[in-house]
Amino acid sequence: MADEKAQKIIAALGGASNIVEIEPCITRLRCELEDGSVVDEKALKALGAHGVMRSGNVVQVVVGPEADTLASDIEDLL
Amino acid sequence: MSLRVGSPVTGRVVALSAVPDPVFSQAMVGPGVAVEPVRAKADVVSPVDGKVVTLHPHAFVVATGDGAAVLVHLGIDTVKRKGEGFELHVVKGEEVRAGQRIVTWDPAEVEAAGFAPICPVIALDASADVLAGLALDADVTTNDALFDWSR
Repeated sequence: MADEKAQKIIAALGGASNIVEIEPCITRLRCELEDGSVVDEKALKALGAHGVMRSGNVVQVVVGPEADTLASDIEDLL
Repeated sequence: MSLRVGSPVTGRVVALSAVPDPVFSQAMVGPGVAVEPVRAKADVVSPVDGKVVTLHPHAFVVATGDGAAVLVHLGIDTVKRKGEGFELHVVKGEEVRAGQRIVTWDPAEVEAAGFAPICPVIALDASADVLAGLALDADVTTNDALFDWSR
């Protein structure tokens, strides 16, 4: 199940090929992307994200305290 | 039941809205307060009795036996310090007491490096109306009460 959520987050971030780096920071995933404009904010929120902050190709997805676990689940899939 | 949440640092209590980070200022991960720390090297202590469930040099979460999780974040964007200037005294999974030291840091050094050293203390995933007695605008020392979390 955890992998399913990670998989969906990857998809919402534009797929594995769009992800340069994902770094967890307690409450959020800091995602460095090839192209930040393709991020599906609605899908991320549907997956439980509290918020999505964009700054060019760096997108921060606020997921709450499960950020660490999610980031390692995502890294396993990349 | 009410959970007393103590201050992890010595300083002045301010509203979360004063924190220069939307995740905290908009209470995206929960309500709480922030403490503007005294600019001197100091120990940071656990706000509650519980288990250290998440531990980074610059931030940690302590969860109580009944599942209340309190997040302490030492400064804003301080993940970029990559642990420099933070000395940990516990390990992830350790049981700690309120007031027990978790990490030593120097807010003055963090500020000199260009980061806001303000410390959000968050009742994770709580709604704002379960917090009472917020010690806003008070000067606190470590382990003084910041707020009561009604459980």
